[in-house]
Amino acid sequence: MTTVQLPGASAASAALARRLRAVATLGGLVALAAGGFVWSVSIGPEHIGLWTIVKGTFAQGHDTKQLIVHLIRLPRALLAVLAGGTLAVSGAVMQSLTRNPLGAPDVLGVTSGAAVTVAIASTIVPSLGGISTIFLSFAGASVASALVFGIARFGRGGLSPVRLALAGVTISLLLYALMQGILIAFTQNAELFFFWLVGGVTYAQWHDIHLAFPWMAAGLALAMLLARRLNVLALGDDVARGLGQNVSRTRLLSVVCVVLLAGAAVGVAGPVAFLALVVPNIVRRLVGHNHFVVLPACMVAGAALLLYADVASRYLNPHVETPAGVVVAPIGATVFVYLARREKLAG
Amino acid sequence: MSAATPLAAPGVAVRVRARRPAVVIGSLGGLCILTAFATLGVGAVRVLEPHAVEALFGHGTADQIRTIRTYELPRVLVAFLVGSALAVSGGVIQGVTRNPLAAPDVIGVVKGAALGTVFLLLAYPFAAVSYLPVAAFAGGVGAMVIVYLVAYRHGGTTPVRLALVGIAVSAFCESIIRYVMIDQAKGIGHALVWLTGSLAAVDMRSFYEILPWIGVLLPLLAYYAHRLDVLGLGDDMARGLGLPVERTRRTALLLAVLLASACVAVAGSILFIGLIAPHMARRLVGSRHAVLLPTAALLGTLMLLVADAIGRGADPPIELPAGMVTAVIGAPYFVYLLTRSL
Repeated sequence: MTTVQLPGASAASAALARRLRAVATLGGLVALAAGGFVWSVSIGPEHIGLWTIVKGTFAQGHDTKQLIVHLIRLPRALLAVLAGGTLAVSGAVMQSLTRNPLGAPDVLGVTSGAAVTVAIASTIVPSLGGISTIFLSFAGASVASALVFGIARFGRGGLSPVRLALAGVTISLLLYALMQGILIAFTQNAELFFFWLVGGVTYAQWHDIHLAFPWMAAGLALAMLLARRLNVLALGDDVARGLGQNVSRTRLLSVVCVVLLAGAAVGVAGPVAFLALVVPNIVRRLVGHNHFVVLPACMVAGAALLLYADVASRYLNPHVETPAGVVVAPIGATVFVYLARREKLAG
Repeated sequence: MSAATPLAAPGVAVRVRARRPAVVIGSLGGLCILTAFATLGVGAVRVLEPHAVEALFGHGTADQIRTIRTYELPRVLVAFLVGSALAVSGGVIQGVTRNPLAAPDVIGVVKGAALGTVFLLLAYPFAAVSYLPVAAFAGGVGAMVIVYLVAYRHGGTTPVRLALVGIAVSAFCESIIRYVMIDQAKGIGHALVWLTGSLAAVDMRSFYEILPWIGVLLPLLAYYAHRLDVLGLGDDMARGLGLPVERTRRTALLLAVLLASACVAVAGSILFIGLIAPHMARRLVGSRHAVLLPTAALLGTLMLLVADAIGRGADPPIELPAGMVTAVIGAPYFVYLLTRSL
């Protein structure tokens, strides 16, 4: 290998350029998300102008439009920001953990585990709701993660990235089949669950945000605390160990983080398919691999994607409420195919 | 794929096992017929066993005879057709692509065919039922072609890549189906049952609907059994033996896809039978297609009969879709296959 002798000044300027670029990308993403937020709040059966949005956000007047903003549109947009952001960050953490671009919680069955647990439990015990939804979601996500990492240990030297993804997808399929059977057997209004299972923020209320926000905040904080460890882990287990990291503890904390983030998001917004897969893959391409930048960027980009998907879902058919997941899924499936085609992943 | 592909068994092994296939096929056939009779009376209106068979032959109360003849008999007959068609389709696809993970459901055919029928029903809600298989054919073939084009890189595909692309394309089709179902909110529960794969809505008409397709396609594939064996020896060897490799592969694949799509038109997406039945058959009788395909067909029938009976009998009068039962059995087996080096 030829070593390029970089003078100190130009090395510093390269670092500066990288940092500037990261800041610029982050700024662009934030602007994108903010635009989506305003768009999401303003459209609907009642079109609402920017000034009314500001008034409805900060002051609770008795004007109908302000009430619409405050009670319907704002929670919907905020939940899109929170759920999209947390799902994307959980995807980034899990992909780093498995060192697998396909290793997102939705591909590996973690979100389906959460969703199926919630659906089954609330079918059999209809009085469940509120905080128990979140806890059921955590439980399902934990069991599914344990299952996936159990399977990952099978075979000689573990499963290749693509095989692990395939196993995860199959487990999701199994869980959904089980759940469909139980829904058909126990409930008259399977369509309500069906709607929820596509994932979206259509019927969001402030209540959902109050329920999920503490867990999401905890998960995001944990993710940021893990950023340095994940950066080191990316160098390989041996290097990480050599640098004094307790690799098992990093793994465990990362799984906890994924369960918190994905579980809370699924509990209030349903399993939005492929969002956690797509966003981190795009973000890494934009800002590189430093988790201190990747994680916040994922948060913002995930929020933006779900906001715009929610807006698009309202344009698809204005007379019917369509969950945002319907818009995300085709985009996600396309990116999934693109990743699956790449040679170095196939084992 | 390595040389030790499980699809090309050495000739010696075949000769040693020469007598076993007859025994296996015979006993599986007997088991199928036995299961068919035994599960005939299971359902919303329970007809206890000796009466169920008697009613089939016209003895018993009018109610019993009607229950058995109009509700249960068609399901059993369709289970024979669909179970064997899916299994044979899977066996042929695995043989042609030399890919143990391939099957009509894995390479996207099943969901594509489902999407085809959903589109037809959307565009022409009153279309004659006999057009459904045609729409399913279009969807199934279309999905398979897309999967192949996308998975094809550097002059070939790998088993795992094909499966992954197939699953992604299936997810794509599924998301469109879901959108359609949410958008057209009426009758969503019924559509849900159909999607998971169920024989609940099957009647004598649907039996006659697919009988001609399957009746033509199955013998055609049986005719190809020997060529598939030759194909299993590897492209070069097959070419040396005078087989038009590409044409054989394309024709057999097309026939297999049509076969699986016809099933989707009446029974929805019943997953995993096409994947598992050939694997089990290969363990029982080896990999000569002339015995492998009939064995797989009987195993597929048996699986579907049992799955449908469980679906009918688990929680009457509610119908659990048979496809759900096959998925619960099939998914762990698929994961097991993945964990072994293929």
